[in-house]
Amino acid sequence: MQGLLSFEQAPPISAPLRFFVTAPVFAILAGLLLLWSGPDLFASRWTPATLALTHLITAGFMLQAMLGAMLQLLPVMAGANMARPLLVASIVHAAITPGTLLLVAAFLTYRPLLFGLAVGFLGVGVTVFIAAAAHALHCVESPSPIIRGLKLALLGLGVTVSLGLLLATSLGWSLGLPLVQLANIHLSWGFVAWGCAMLAAVGAVAVPMFQLTPDYPGWFGRGFSFAALGFMCLWTFADLAGWAGLSTLLAVMVVLTAATFAVLTLNIQRQSRRPKLDVVQVYWRGAMLSTLAACALWLAARSIPALEDWSGWPFLFGVLLLFGGFMSVIVGMLYKISPFLVWLHLQNLGRGRVVAPNMKKVLAETDMEWQMFAHFTAFALLLLAVFWPAWFVYPAGLALVVANGWLLRNLLSAVGVYRAHLIKIESAAPGQSERR
Amino acid sequence: MNNISDFMAGDHRRCDDIFVDVEQAVASGEWERAVAGYAQFQSAVLQHFSAEETLLFPAFEQKTGMSMGPTQVMRGEHEQMRELMDAARAALVAKDADDYSGNAETLLIMMQQHNMKEENVLYPMCDQHLVDQVDALLPQLQHAIQK
Repeated sequence: MQGLLSFEQAPPISAPLRFFVTAPVFAILAGLLLLWSGPDLFASRWTPATLALTHLITAGFMLQAMLGAMLQLLPVMAGANMARPLLVASIVHAAITPGTLLLVAAFLTYRPLLFGLAVGFLGVGVTVFIAAAAHALHCVESPSPIIRGLKLALLGLGVTVSLGLLLATSLGWSLGLPLVQLANIHLSWGFVAWGCAMLAAVGAVAVPMFQLTPDYPGWFGRGFSFAALGFMCLWTFADLAGWAGLSTLLAVMVVLTAATFAVLTLNIQRQSRRPKLDVVQVYWRGAMLSTLAACALWLAARSIPALEDWSGWPFLFGVLLLFGGFMSVIVGMLYKISPFLVWLHLQNLGRGRVVAPNMKKVLAETDMEWQMFAHFTAFALLLLAVFWPAWFVYPAGLALVVANGWLLRNLLSAVGVYRAHLIKIESAAPGQSERR
Repeated sequence: MNNISDFMAGDHRRCDDIFVDVEQAVASGEWERAVAGYAQFQSAVLQHFSAEETLLFPAFEQKTGMSMGPTQVMRGEHEQMRELMDAARAALVAKDADDYSGNAETLLIMMQQHNMKEENVLYPMCDQHLVDQVDALLPQLQHAIQK
């Protein structure tokens, strides 16, 4: 308990930042893939290019950013200190980065060897992370809602990745598994039990804290992650057992659970006491509205046969949830976490000798605003590309490259401020500061 | 309100409320109201720090023998917030809204993550270890943090 609140146990700045600057590179690759494959990508959700694109965003952008953020937030938000965080970050990052690239290459070429290598790298990276995070969370004495939420989200990640590895193995060696059914279970676990559960656990703390809103209701903190995971387990069981009616009912409950989070968040954000809507708040609200639209679309597709028969609806759903929902909220969180970390580490290193630049000097508001404009433009073009692929797929791909190139530039400029300031600190008192 | 957690967390919320008032005054260009509100904010936060550093932390350290543990980290963070508060005040006096907003944003996150550690970890530990002293300690804390 002695080191429970110790800053020294927080990870060095390079541990989370390596994940944050890698994430946009995968989204840039997703944009390039759109440009390379053109309108054909929208032919079916099962084309190699579509599967590759989806995993560039989920395993590339989302997983990188969310693991990096979790590494940083566990000690601060949950008092859970990971043992040897730099070592964990190095192994996980060095495993999931090539793992995702190999997976994407495997989808595009269908070579068994690439699937095998991707399974190995991603399996090792995610297992090491889950083991280290679970150990840190297990050592916390008083379990608060966020700890329970993060534990369940980790479980969700474990199931998602295990199913993914099973699918990749099956694709590589034709094991004869029901691929479509398993793929639907895999993506539902990824969206709800990992993505949404982690976002809800972090959001329940971060939204009131950053945006000065009322707290989420008590029942949300106590029940949300259990409800999400419980409905997911029951639905998976009913779906595998072939009980169609019950499976549909439970799937509706899963979607309504996710929609509840979006509605509650929008409602408390409406009551924010901060006078100005900043970039992060706009990103959060855009993300929640888009998630809500995705949930509404899913429910509509279940009740309107003509919509369900339209091959474009899964694309529309994917764009709303992945680009409008998860990507927006993740970029928003990166814009809070990264400049604060730069300030915090510089303040600790230069204390009393060199004043650290405040967050807005690390990353200017206008740079974030322009990037946000590019992001939502890319999102709008992607939505249009679902309806008119031939017209909009190239502008959408280009816009995705621009928006994420800009995000990368913004994050690297924050790293540049850190490095330049470190030199100032070292020259003010040579030998006294430690390079992290 | 008969435990340390509730009282001290309630005081965090009081400081947050004054912080919001100042931010709103700056946003609407009411500099005099902002400067006056900021003085009230800084004084409330400094009172809170002082009550912790002179009353609560020493009692906790004496009882648990942990003098280099969590309380030491909290003292370090108080120092960081004192510096940020001074920087934000200087920006406010100079009527520099951008510089104020940069320092205030940094201060807000620093303050909130600090509060979270205290409210989730340190205060519950104080409630647990100082259960036999709470009747004497709580009035002293209430007196030191004059509302």
